[in-house]
Amino acid sequence: MKPIYAIAKLTVKSAFRFKIVALLAVFLVLAVSALPLLLKDDGTARGFVQILLTYSLGLTVTTLALSTLWLSCSLLAKDIEDCRIQMLVVKPVSRWKIWLGKWLGVMTINALLLAIAGGVILGLLQYRSAKLNEKQKHVLQNEIFVARGSAKEAPVDLTQDVENIFQQKMTEGSTQGEVDKAQLKKQIREMLKYQYQLVPEGHMRVWNIPLGMAAHTLKDKPLYLKTKFIAMSHTSTFEDTRSFPMMWEVGPMNSPQSWRTVIMMTPNVSQEIEVPPNLIDEKGYVQVRFINDQDDTFFFDMNDGLEILYRQGGFFINYVKGLSILFCWLGLLAAVGLSASSFLSFPVAAFFAAFVLILGLSTGTMTQVIEEGGVTGVDHETGKIEKQTTLDHVSVVIFKGLKNVTDIVRGFSPVELLSSGRTVTWGMMFRAVLQVVVVMGGLFAALGMYCFTRRELALVKGGQG
Amino acid sequence: MSSAAIVDETKVESNTTAETVVSVQGLVKVFKDFWGRPKAHAVNNVSFEVRRGEVFGLLGPNGSGKSTTVKLLLGLLNPTRGHIEVFGHSTRHVATKRRIGYLPEESYLYRYLDSAETLDFFGSLFDLTSDERRQRAEQLLEMVGLDKVRRRTVGEFSKGMQRRIGLAQALINDPDLIILDEPTSGLDPIGCREVKDLIIELARRGKTVILSSHLLADVEDVCDRVVIYYGGKIQAIGTLKELLSTPDRLRITTPVLGRETLEKVLNIIRTDLNKGAEDVLVDSPTQNLESYFLDVVRKARSSAKETSGATSGGNVAEYLRSSSGEPAKKDRILERLSSSKPVAEQVEPAPVQKETKEEISKRLQTLLNKTEPAAPAQEPAAPTVENKKDMSKANEKLSGLLGKKEK
Repeated sequence: MKPIYAIAKLTVKSAFRFKIVALLAVFLVLAVSALPLLLKDDGTARGFVQILLTYSLGLTVTTLALSTLWLSCSLLAKDIEDCRIQMLVVKPVSRWKIWLGKWLGVMTINALLLAIAGGVILGLLQYRSAKLNEKQKHVLQNEIFVARGSAKEAPVDLTQDVENIFQQKMTEGSTQGEVDKAQLKKQIREMLKYQYQLVPEGHMRVWNIPLGMAAHTLKDKPLYLKTKFIAMSHTSTFEDTRSFPMMWEVGPMNSPQSWRTVIMMTPNVSQEIEVPPNLIDEKGYVQVRFINDQDDTFFFDMNDGLEILYRQGGFFINYVKGLSILFCWLGLLAAVGLSASSFLSFPVAAFFAAFVLILGLSTGTMTQVIEEGGVTGVDHETGKIEKQTTLDHVSVVIFKGLKNVTDIVRGFSPVELLSSGRTVTWGMMFRAVLQVVVVMGGLFAALGMYCFTRRELALVKGGQG
Repeated sequence: MSSAAIVDETKVESNTTAETVVSVQGLVKVFKDFWGRPKAHAVNNVSFEVRRGEVFGLLGPNGSGKSTTVKLLLGLLNPTRGHIEVFGHSTRHVATKRRIGYLPEESYLYRYLDSAETLDFFGSLFDLTSDERRQRAEQLLEMVGLDKVRRRTVGEFSKGMQRRIGLAQALINDPDLIILDEPTSGLDPIGCREVKDLIIELARRGKTVILSSHLLADVEDVCDRVVIYYGGKIQAIGTLKELLSTPDRLRITTPVLGRETLEKVLNIIRTDLNKGAEDVLVDSPTQNLESYFLDVVRKARSSAKETSGATSGGNVAEYLRSSSGEPAKKDRILERLSSSKPVAEQVEPAPVQKETKEEISKRLQTLLNKTEPAAPAQEPAAPTVENKKDMSKANEKLSGLLGKKEK
């Protein structure tokens, strides 16, 4: 361990001596401090959190991601090109230990810079929150500076309904000619799903949401309904600012304990409603009802239509866990940079690492190619490629493979969770460590260590006397 | 040079009496271009062995394959063909590197570290405790004369000072095998002398030294055996005695003789050789430039106070001295270097036996009594000041073999 520690320490020392740490620290502090001054918020708690947390933390992560790639590529590649690496490999230190020592060094620098930037952002959050009015402070304390759990309705099983309708259609003979049964069932399912999400005029929609173990800890604590809907008469209007008085009931049906409110709400916007405590039934369920007494039909998405948020813990621990997940991402990038420089020269390694980063951010394109069935032009009516060429087949196979790999590390968005006051769970954090650092980082590390071990390190420079 | 010294490249020397530290068999290194096509045969079918306690010299012009051989020995390059063993293991065997110290031809040290930090860092790579690292760093810095500038970063050092700190890091682990690539390059004459003395001292204590150098005088001063490269192949290998002795010549060194005695001796020799005076040379020994320079510096140092650069090295590091259990004969290198005695008398290459005055007189008497032409001596005369004077001749011989002397 001592050699690994010594190499890590040397890496950190080099970053300090070359003033890289000082430069990045000053830049980050100035950037996260100046950003809220440059971007004016709307005076609400959410508005200023959006700027301070989302933008500042995003800027911090982007800066550290780029500096990590540059630093990790240059550390090893420059050492090889300037022959300094020869002084290490002739010592009794395995090459994988040299590689690991450098990775740990880069991660120590990242930890320090992330802690500085994170600390400044947290300090600014506390400082600026004191200037909000009482109402916004209340929102901030209960909806943002908090770690909240989330509960949704259990997924609805439509299989039996689909089967019943399918059998009915087959019996009635309402289908003509040859029918693709699977396609028909799919159409029936989509139709049922759509109907399930609609709440027509004069109808009521009921959600039974299980809170599980959390129900026992929520006595005397408020709940928050988070909802988002579409007004079907306004779907074609891009700038729909019309609000509706929406009637909500929470608590057991026909119970005097039930709580009712009518609140003005805007379509297509996520909104939260604070619900008084103690409306959970003995089974740990909360029943939420929406009564549509408007002259419009509303659409609540099965996934995002409604969820209940409840307090789980404090903001600070949540914030630290969020930063830890960002740190895992930086760990992966450091592994990518070091791996590239294990077998490539500095400029080529930097190019390769940047390419990997862009690839990781291009999952939208990958998904599109897979869905469309290739990279050549699609039929605008079907949204798919009519005749797939060899290039299409090959690209789909490659993009499927790449997407499978990138999917391992996607799905961790701590900034979004933090800015909406949601809990970054321990499970998510450990999954991030496992999937991002151990699995993906490990793959790159194994590749880098193998190449570095095999490489002839005296080929770069030096006389062959 | 005796014809026996010209080697059969495929024949490996064998000596079962000493432990083999490095064994190289049929070594070939071909550098390839981007497409994998052979670009240069840097080392071509090289075989040799280095035994424990030897100072083994690699000699050759630029591009002859010396440095490539060194890098192959250190595992920095992979052989195209052939086999290398260091202490009985592959060059990639990590634990073996615990016994090796390496000084590269250029300073590949971290420029932002100071001397003490450099030694501490390299000591850490050998798992030395912090106490050990500190003690050894202290001793080594004093030994290489950098103890006064320990807080200056390596990047600020002159080339000579970088060689000194490089040498110190090569010895931090008290290695059994020390590989030195151009160790005296960039050093002042005092530094050169110190390094050469250190090499001899290390060899005396059972360390094995492989020395790659362009400087023929350096090699001649310290090496027991040398291998001479040209075009990636070994052109000659053997002890200096084998390579440099001239069996058909003889040198006699005596105290100053009276004119009459000298005439008598010359007459006897001329009669014996049946030749004229032009084939017999009589002159007075002179001090060589190196020893003269060292004497001047010694005197200057007694009056001068300080220098901003490296000072002369001090004691050989204690942990290096104590490894063999043998007490150091000369504690201060500087004193030894600056003594009024000719340098060559102080340095005693191991394979050459020094003759006493009585032995020389006896041999002279034998020669005088003989009527037959004198046979070549079994052993060359002890290295004396006159030997140093003939260094240029030796250099000429080696230069003739190697081609143009390298810079």
